[in-house]
Amino acid sequence: MDRGMILFVGVLLTFTSSWLGLVLFPFWQLQNQPTFQAEPEDEPYPRPLQGAAWTGMKVYQKNGCMYCHSQQVRSERFGNWWEDPTGIMRTGGDIRRGWGYRRNVSRDYIHDNPTMLGTMRTGPDLANIGNRYSAAWQHIHTYNPRAINSWSIMPSFAFLYRKERIVGARSEKALPLGREWTVRPGYRWRPSPQEWQTILQRYGDQIKERFLLEVGPPTFDWNQPDGQNLLLDYWLTTPEEGWQILPTDEAEALVAYLLSLRKAEYPLPEAKE
Amino acid sequence: MAVSVLTRDQLRWQAAQERVTIDRSCRGPVLAFCATALFWLLVGSLLALVASIKLHSPYFLTGSPTWTFGRVRMAHLQAVALGWSSLAAMAACLWLMCRLARVELVYPRMLYLACALWNIATTLAVIGILLGDGTSVEWLDAPTYSHPFFVAGVGLVTAWVVATFRRRREQHVYVTQWYILAAVFWFPWLYTVATLMIFWAPATGVIQPIVNWWFNHNFLGLWVTPIGVGIAYYIIPKILGRPIHSYYLSITGFWTLALFYSWAGMHHLIGGPIPAWLATASTVGSMMMFIPVIAVAINHHMTMIGHFHRLKYSPALRFTVFGAIAYTAVSFQGSIESLKDFSEVAHFTHYTVGHAHLGVYGFLAMILFGLYYYMIPRLTGREWYSSQLIRLHFWCSAIGITLYFTALSIGGWWQGRMLNNPNVPFANIVMYVQPYLALRTVAGTIMTIGHIAFTTLFVINIAGWGRHRSSGPTLFSQPPLPVSSPWPSTTNIIGTPSTHL
Repeated sequence: MDRGMILFVGVLLTFTSSWLGLVLFPFWQLQNQPTFQAEPEDEPYPRPLQGAAWTGMKVYQKNGCMYCHSQQVRSERFGNWWEDPTGIMRTGGDIRRGWGYRRNVSRDYIHDNPTMLGTMRTGPDLANIGNRYSAAWQHIHTYNPRAINSWSIMPSFAFLYRKERIVGARSEKALPLGREWTVRPGYRWRPSPQEWQTILQRYGDQIKERFLLEVGPPTFDWNQPDGQNLLLDYWLTTPEEGWQILPTDEAEALVAYLLSLRKAEYPLPEAKE
Repeated sequence: MAVSVLTRDQLRWQAAQERVTIDRSCRGPVLAFCATALFWLLVGSLLALVASIKLHSPYFLTGSPTWTFGRVRMAHLQAVALGWSSLAAMAACLWLMCRLARVELVYPRMLYLACALWNIATTLAVIGILLGDGTSVEWLDAPTYSHPFFVAGVGLVTAWVVATFRRRREQHVYVTQWYILAAVFWFPWLYTVATLMIFWAPATGVIQPIVNWWFNHNFLGLWVTPIGVGIAYYIIPKILGRPIHSYYLSITGFWTLALFYSWAGMHHLIGGPIPAWLATASTVGSMMMFIPVIAVAINHHMTMIGHFHRLKYSPALRFTVFGAIAYTAVSFQGSIESLKDFSEVAHFTHYTVGHAHLGVYGFLAMILFGLYYYMIPRLTGREWYSSQLIRLHFWCSAIGITLYFTALSIGGWWQGRMLNNPNVPFANIVMYVQPYLALRTVAGTIMTIGHIAFTTLFVINIAGWGRHRSSGPTLFSQPPLPVSSPWPSTTNIIGTPSTHL
């Protein structure tokens, strides 16, 4: 193959075949896919992202959430590696987990730009997450996932929240978290034994008073080291005095985006199985 | 060319002189590409460690948006794929094209410019991502303002490679040259189409991931694989002094790679919201890849047969053969992974990450290391300072990637099985993979130590502190030598593609 022209033409043709097959044909097939309306008076599905949800999508994009979370629910017929209690091999793990009511199809993504399908499930699939958790849950989970799931390896996004002094009353939007999550935002705080002793010396009476008020008479002796540990466990769940954690605009936007993710819900004719 | 009446030794002397002239002309630009590539390998290794640690110790470097996992992961990929792999691959293209065309490198300033442009692009990519401009498009995570620099950089390299090829003195076009010419033609086209259809004139919905995975898979299959395979096709016969086993197998391997590899990309979207025919077409393409991979494997193996003992001595050969074997393994694995039953389990898991690294590290990086060990002394005139450091580099890389691949394959496979079983709570899956992810950090640390050893050797060589090349190559150990010759005879010139190579 000593002639450059043969090389060039061959390399051009083989490449063009894949460009035609994997790029151009799908483009022609899918580019002008319309929205779906069951009845003429229905809202067309899907709807493009609005307002805060669109900004939230940008937050999702720039922080690389897609690299742990997919957004594609797989078919009922997909996956045949589990046995149900009667010993029959079953399919459709994604849907059985509650990750969607149906599989996702191309129409679900026509307004997505970028289309973040994702190829990793270090964390769960999020195509239909808007259906599963409330805004309050999402805020706490985004701030520090281990406040909800101790086993989670998701990063803390505490930098999307600000810790502020309370002026007047605590804000309604403040995250309802105990001080173990707020003293060092993003981390879980526990004072060292010496620090705890110092705290007990200064505030021990107030802490015990509050304990009596909120929980009742203690079932342990809080003058012993073991009891003091239990008291510490309780104290860590109480809110930090004078401070609150508030979501920034980015956090509000991100949660709005997550709530808007209901891609595997609306029944589409082509998604029926 | 005039008929030569010189003796064989005089011919060899002439050929060697020609090579010296060529190498001297290549020195500046190729070393620029090599040095900057190595810089990005270090940066990428550190970013990799940060990302890996975060996955089993989520409080590591928590608190700033710059170091959040998603951004570090994007930055890592850009540093090692666009930084290290591509720059080293371009160095290979330049030097090998000069050597095989038997022509000196001209207009070096154009190539310094290309190197600078590509490095600016990579810097913009890595820093831009960490500062929040990442695109969350796999392999194209770099912010859009880096695109023009990438295009300009590779455009210059492509133009230069083609121009050099056209100026060739050597009539015969060796297989490595086919791969290089193909790669520098394919990559700019891939990059332009993909960035156009995803960023500049975005296509609707799932067309974006379709185009994206066409690009990503072809980044591997039509950019770095041809160059890696091309390097192996050069290094192995060069060091052994024997011709490649079969010319016709190399033709088969080349054209079937060109045809089938480019169709395989949709196997990354099996089960996804894409038309069924697309996934099937890619599974077919992926399975057909057995043909070129087996062709190349036979070619390399049959060339090596009877000479495997040389792996004891030559660093360049050892790294290259390791890479070539890894290429066969990862390609077979990839073909199997594209089958629906397999993909049902392995997709979305760490298994895929293990496979990817066997490819880009076990295959590509090891072959690039092999090329460096062979090429750099010929450019600088200095041999490697310490065979102990080379040994450290090799074993760190080999053990590292083996541990990496094993840990993530086992962990990832069971992760996939559990993902498919809705009775397994997600918490159990996360907790199950933790130890494997920790093992991956261990593996990555070992690999990084190897990279530091390698960089040390490179810096020593560039700084001129190694001994002169004329005293013979740095080997792992001395092979048994005949008294007269300083190096095992590479006299089987008849049968190599050209008597002057």
